[in-house]
Amino acid sequence: MANKLYDVVVIGSGAGGGMLSARLAGLGAEVLVLEGGPKVDTRTDFNTHALPHEFPSRHIPIMRPGKPGYDGERSRGLGGKTMLWNAVSLRFSQRDFKGRQHDGAGEDWPVSYADMAPYYDSVEREIGVCGNLDHLEDLPDGVFLPPIPMKCSDVLIKQGAAKLGIPVIHVRKATLSRATRTRPACHFCGNCMAGCDVVAKYNSADVNMYPALKTGKLTLRPNSIVHEIAVSDEARVSEVRYFDRETRAEDTARGRITVVACACAQSVALLLMSKSSRFPTGLGNSSGELGKNFIPHINAGFELFLEDLIGNPQGNDEGFLDHAYIPSFMHKQKRDYPRSFGIQFNYQNKRSVGWARSIKGMGRAYKDEVKANYPAYVTFSPYQEMLPNRDSYIDLDYDHPDEYGLPSPRRQWKLSETDWKLHKDMKQKCTDILLASKAKIHSVSSEPTPNHEIGGCRMGTDPKTTVLNAFCRSHDVPNLYVVDASVFPSSSEKNPTLTIMALAARTAEHIADRLKKGEV
Amino acid sequence: MATYSSDRRSVLKILGAIGATCAYPYAGDELFAQAAPEHQHQHEAVPHDAARFLSEADFRTISRIADLIIPETKTPAASSVGVPAYIDMVIGRNSDQQALVADGLRWLDAEAGRQAGKKFIDLSEDGQIKILEPLCEAADAGNSLARNVQFFALIKKLTADGYYTSRTGLLDELGYTGNTVVSSFTGGCVHEH
Repeated sequence: MANKLYDVVVIGSGAGGGMLSARLAGLGAEVLVLEGGPKVDTRTDFNTHALPHEFPSRHIPIMRPGKPGYDGERSRGLGGKTMLWNAVSLRFSQRDFKGRQHDGAGEDWPVSYADMAPYYDSVEREIGVCGNLDHLEDLPDGVFLPPIPMKCSDVLIKQGAAKLGIPVIHVRKATLSRATRTRPACHFCGNCMAGCDVVAKYNSADVNMYPALKTGKLTLRPNSIVHEIAVSDEARVSEVRYFDRETRAEDTARGRITVVACACAQSVALLLMSKSSRFPTGLGNSSGELGKNFIPHINAGFELFLEDLIGNPQGNDEGFLDHAYIPSFMHKQKRDYPRSFGIQFNYQNKRSVGWARSIKGMGRAYKDEVKANYPAYVTFSPYQEMLPNRDSYIDLDYDHPDEYGLPSPRRQWKLSETDWKLHKDMKQKCTDILLASKAKIHSVSSEPTPNHEIGGCRMGTDPKTTVLNAFCRSHDVPNLYVVDASVFPSSSEKNPTLTIMALAARTAEHIADRLKKGEV
Repeated sequence: MATYSSDRRSVLKILGAIGATCAYPYAGDELFAQAAPEHQHQHEAVPHDAARFLSEADFRTISRIADLIIPETKTPAASSVGVPAYIDMVIGRNSDQQALVADGLRWLDAEAGRQAGKKFIDLSEDGQIKILEPLCEAADAGNSLARNVQFFALIKKLTADGYYTSRTGLLDELGYTGNTVVSSFTGGCVHEH
């Protein structure tokens, strides 16, 4: 078995790997998926409905007792980060793909919105995305299930933002607002990011992997940690080397084509680790760009209380966390920096009351103040696009190996002057919106925080400055592909997952085509 | 958890992974940060009502402070829902906090002795509040490095965490209504716009 030659070996089973593998299996390819973590069951393994008081430390563990460990740090586990994501699903626009044409900064993608649109369509049809048709120039509409009504608190912020001419729209999420043949609609427990135990929220294990396993075309090897991709003298992947997470027994896998989909920094790390005489600085790194151009989303954070809701009784507004979104608006306004930001807000889960620590006072007055503020509490997080710069990159830290003795990926980032301008303006605009919404601002982040790892293995047309071509294929190694957010040449301010899935669907089609033509 | 330096001028180094989920800003996500890795103890978290780490006398004083921070109203006080035991458990795992609590308790008794010739626990409620209120004010301002202020800040933080994660605190006092199944979402409005 170990020596069987598969059509495609896929490393990782998250948004990229899961979607790509299932599509390839559906197109008739023999696929082997190597997943670094255990096989998990959404219905039984996560602590979706626990409350903090059930645990002595008041910390709700991700997994239930006795269930296979889900490594939160690396998201190793079937389904990867899609098991715990918040499911926000936004299409990138033509401006996002061709930002450089728009404002002269950053890098353009080698694909356009028109290239991607059919794949967005097919992915949305498959996973189920709820949302409203908003007809916005910068946030293309998709194939949507009906939107979920906004929360009371969203309406207040929408009214506030409207005073400034800023539109607030229904959030777009890969969570079902209506049952499908195989998945129920959302029941609004509010615990989306603790694993959705009914799969109303998309995850790649239940929606892609398990159905694909039934085709007989897909083989899954969980607990298989890949540490090296070996190449032949002809610069082709010869085999993938991995070990068992529990026994540490070494094994190899062979595919006509190998796809790396381990999530941004882990994919970059695996390629950097795969050094050979042919590629001494990492696999497929003739450009020297592997690990460079790391461009995570940068966010700020506000905690606030809406004055109109202070002292109200607490209604059940958990919903599926955030129900509204403020799309990018600055790209249309005069400003002294390129790019823009979008705002995710009202996604707190009210099991968490950490802000009570910082309410002033003690005694009855303190206790009453916490209670009065509880129904009015809202989180507010703008996400900005960061432009690539030479000080932001991923490299390997050999001095701090992980528990398996493998070097850890090290993420380094630094904001440029224009990134800082955007960041400051973003915080100011958020403050304006909040004050217009009659919010009492409780806390403001003092430093920018990275979220959504993006970049490090960018695609492009020039093999001298990019690692992959327009089909996510290595410029150097013709049977090597990468499909996750590491391939993004620019990040947009929009959440990356839907675009990862659309790229995966597109790449799957491309690979199946090559297999059919006998090119590999 | 992600750790990184935050010096603007230098390259920011992120050693751990960036969160897999949405960024919960600040307190929301740090709430349970002081907890040691969880063990397989689900559904057995009945709060113990005696000290496991603290001495009995110290446990009584901590319970008293917790109740002055979150007293009985229509809902029970902090000590009635296991908050002192939670505090005992957290500081039992952290030697820095143990030293801070020891210093703080010593300071309270010294101050009570100076003001009224008694131990802190033997003062009237008003006497106790008179000593704690200035500490609370300084702790809320957040810019004092004084040990007694840091001590109070720690106890207040743990009291808030312990109380509002308790069943009584979250469900009865705050009226948390999530974690339930509803067939359609209506917005949760309980007032007219």
